[in-house]
Amino acid sequence: MPSKNNASINEKCPVYLDGKLISYVKDGNEFVKEIRKNRRVGLISNEVNVYYDAKINEVHVNADNGRVRKPYIIVENGKSLYTPELKEKLKKGEIDFNYLVRHGVIEYLDAEEEENIYCALSEKDITEETTHLEIEPSIMFGVTVSSSVFPEFNNVGRHPIAWNFMKQSQGFYATNFNYRYDARAFLMYYPQEPLVTSSAYRTLNLNKHPAGQNFVVALSTYYGYNIKDALVLNKASVDRGLGRSVFFRTYSDEEIRYPGGQQDKFTIPPATAEGYRGEHVYAKLGEDGIVEPEVDTEEGDVIIGKVSPPRFLEEQTSYGVSEERVRDNSAELRSGESGVVDSVLLSESPGATKIVKVRIRSIKVPEAGDKFASRQSQKGVTALLVPQEDMPFTKDGIIPDLLLNPNSLPNRMTYGHMLEMLAGKAGSIEGKKFDGTAFSTNGSDAVKEYGRILQSHGFEEYGDEEFYDGRTGKKFDAKLFTGVVYFQRLWHMVSLKIQVRSRGPVQILTRQPTEGKPRKGGLKFGEMEREALIGYGASLVLKERMLDQSDKAPVWICKTCGDLGYFDYIKNTAVCPTCGSSDLEEVEISYAFKLLIDELKSMHILPRIKLKG
Amino acid sequence: MAAKKENEISIKNVDVQYGEPVGVVAAQSMGEPSTQMVLRTFHSAGIATTISSGLPRVIELVDARKKQASPTMIVPLDPKIKKNYDAVKKLAKKFQEVRIKDVILKHIENLKESKLELVLSKSKMEDNMLTEDQIIEKLTKKFSGISIEKKSNHLIISQKKAKDIHSTRIAFVHIMDFQLSGIKGINKAVIMQNDDESFYIFTSGSNISEAMQLEGVLSESIYSTDPFDVLKSYGVEAARNAIAYELKNTMQHEGVKVDFRHMGLIADSMTLTGTIIGVGRHGLAGTKASVFARAAYEETVKHFVNASIFGESDPLKGVSENVLIGKQIHVGTGLVKLAIKKEDLKKIKAEE
Repeated sequence: MPSKNNASINEKCPVYLDGKLISYVKDGNEFVKEIRKNRRVGLISNEVNVYYDAKINEVHVNADNGRVRKPYIIVENGKSLYTPELKEKLKKGEIDFNYLVRHGVIEYLDAEEEENIYCALSEKDITEETTHLEIEPSIMFGVTVSSSVFPEFNNVGRHPIAWNFMKQSQGFYATNFNYRYDARAFLMYYPQEPLVTSSAYRTLNLNKHPAGQNFVVALSTYYGYNIKDALVLNKASVDRGLGRSVFFRTYSDEEIRYPGGQQDKFTIPPATAEGYRGEHVYAKLGEDGIVEPEVDTEEGDVIIGKVSPPRFLEEQTSYGVSEERVRDNSAELRSGESGVVDSVLLSESPGATKIVKVRIRSIKVPEAGDKFASRQSQKGVTALLVPQEDMPFTKDGIIPDLLLNPNSLPNRMTYGHMLEMLAGKAGSIEGKKFDGTAFSTNGSDAVKEYGRILQSHGFEEYGDEEFYDGRTGKKFDAKLFTGVVYFQRLWHMVSLKIQVRSRGPVQILTRQPTEGKPRKGGLKFGEMEREALIGYGASLVLKERMLDQSDKAPVWICKTCGDLGYFDYIKNTAVCPTCGSSDLEEVEISYAFKLLIDELKSMHILPRIKLKG
Repeated sequence: MAAKKENEISIKNVDVQYGEPVGVVAAQSMGEPSTQMVLRTFHSAGIATTISSGLPRVIELVDARKKQASPTMIVPLDPKIKKNYDAVKKLAKKFQEVRIKDVILKHIENLKESKLELVLSKSKMEDNMLTEDQIIEKLTKKFSGISIEKKSNHLIISQKKAKDIHSTRIAFVHIMDFQLSGIKGINKAVIMQNDDESFYIFTSGSNISEAMQLEGVLSESIYSTDPFDVLKSYGVEAARNAIAYELKNTMQHEGVKVDFRHMGLIADSMTLTGTIIGVGRHGLAGTKASVFARAAYEETVKHFVNASIFGESDPLKGVSENVLIGKQIHVGTGLVKLAIKKEDLKKIKAEE
């Protein structure tokens, strides 16, 4: 190798191995070519990648770990090295993929070396300059992305949205779901394989784990019920099981050991236990203190009865060891949820304590407020379930499962949605699945093909059908575009989100209402809302929000010294502990203010309240 | 009785009712559109001077920053010269600040011999109507300890009593920064044309007090975007207008419609004390009478401690403190009070 101390260093090209300068070469481009040649023959490991930057005249050789690499077919002299003979051999199983890699037909390139190649998308795109060929154009995408169909027909900005919806879909997530105790899981009743799939979808065996159903969709409004991304569902379809799913939630508990030899115990808590919630709450527990399988449970029901040792150590009584007191520490069903006990699992933790897992099953039938989405980033919330007889129908008597507002398509530019509708429709008639792999469809050819199939079965060529109003029986003036789309049910459901509060729990410290669904909380009336009411001049509404509906507290204030006092119910008189006066007045203030006064007092500041009149 | 009737009518006819929380409404009317302004801030390319605009400018004004990012002046001219381009051009030259570094091609510092060599640019000097002799004269007048030697277009400045290198270097920096002509703080003056073909001067940088002394300037009507400069030269009423109109212009420039009276009110309260105070905790919010109101806003501990030291009392007249303790606020519907006591009412009825 040439020496580092070459006189004409500027004319030389530096070589970096894993980012470290090791040497100089005369011609970087030639050097890189040589390495590649040797790598393809097998003289150099195929894990080595090399990259020549012509702009700054540098060669980077990378052989370290952590580089993401992707396979390409090598093209030499305008011809793909992956010949039809090799293809035949591969099909017969005489050779495998690694054979191709070993024999310099396919090579893996990292992100840097990709900068040096001129890659063709398909075999017919190859020119003289081409150096590599894509194995399959859609290979550039990951798992979720490559399973989307007709992505090249959609607006780029919609893709991430569509992938997000795919991740949120309910489906057949695991075959061993019966033996699993997931904290929360959704399982679709009748999941279907999509009528339009992609090659990656099939390769990854995702059709064995479908997450959606093929809906008959018509693009139509329905008396304003599907305005702005609302959906109208066919009630009869829902009754037949459309979109139906099961929701599992697992509650788990453990007999924890405490220092001092004390331990929790699974049992029906005795009525003497601290924090006993009343007999009816424990009614569904079995003898062992754990709820029995296939029992209907409701909000507030205890499903795992457990007693714990008291929080504080007890004092010794004069009779020696006192009676053992316990505290109720049972697990109850979450607020707003109900269901049937699916199964109960008894086990032991690594620390040899008893573990209980109770899986609650509840059936989630689609209802107004549940979310659906197609694979083309068209989401919507169910607004209305229409009886079948009121839905629009075609002359053949086809009644759509779902009415999608036609306005949701044009400004989002999801042409793939319409293509999928056509393909799904054609596929459902022919009993055939169509391919929607990225960059493999010619739009106009595909539409022609689908149109031919549709026409041959007596449907309209472009998918628009004549419809009759289910309510009046009159024919619609316009034709409705109808097709079959793969729709996913997403796990955002009203039944898991609905929350109301009129009265409820308050925080211990401030006596203000709690926040959040699990604590039955209210909605925050924040600073900006407060300011808005001031701006309106609605002083009594403001007082109601900030005081009456919040932390109103009656407080006795001494007329003599201005300090806070209290009312002594035994002597039936108000007392000021500061000055001893009994001349006090009851005033309503916010508890937060009382707390402020107390805190100021703790810092040796005594605020005195002067009462007027 | 007649007077009472008159009052009744006037109260009924006013646009803004008695007890309307105008301050809150003004704040909201300015605040809400400014949240949108952040999203659609666009850059106007190709304009010579970059004038700060959008939300940063609004914040700058409302906070009453002493040092503005990019103050500008619009200088109207005397009717005698305002249509004469050459005269206006001459005047504009008097505005622009020219320093030594603006008239040289390059400079060579020789710290060893404590010599500074300046290569003067003829065209730059001509541009600014300066001659070599003028420069030499001004330099010798200002700096006593130097001698100046002239060699064609080179000026060689040497220190008579050279101390250490550090002080020599500082002296050289001062020389390079020496102002030859123009008004301090104005780094550019551009001639602009009105619709009626008369000219006015637009400057980057603001210094009203010096600009108004120049001949040919309408000294009573210079517009500056720096409220503090306006305050200094024209007084507090003008400063109030400066703030209000600047707010208006900024909002208008962003395409946001806000009623001028909101901005007028903000400017009014900012200049209420006779000088300009900001809206934040060092300004308006800090001058609130109530301890609770101040403590609720910022620096809670400081206000409580001070209040306890000085034995302050809070009459609970404002809004914040009444919300805090849970009383009805004295605003809007809460302002109405029974003017006659119940007992008095009985007496009156009895008399009747």
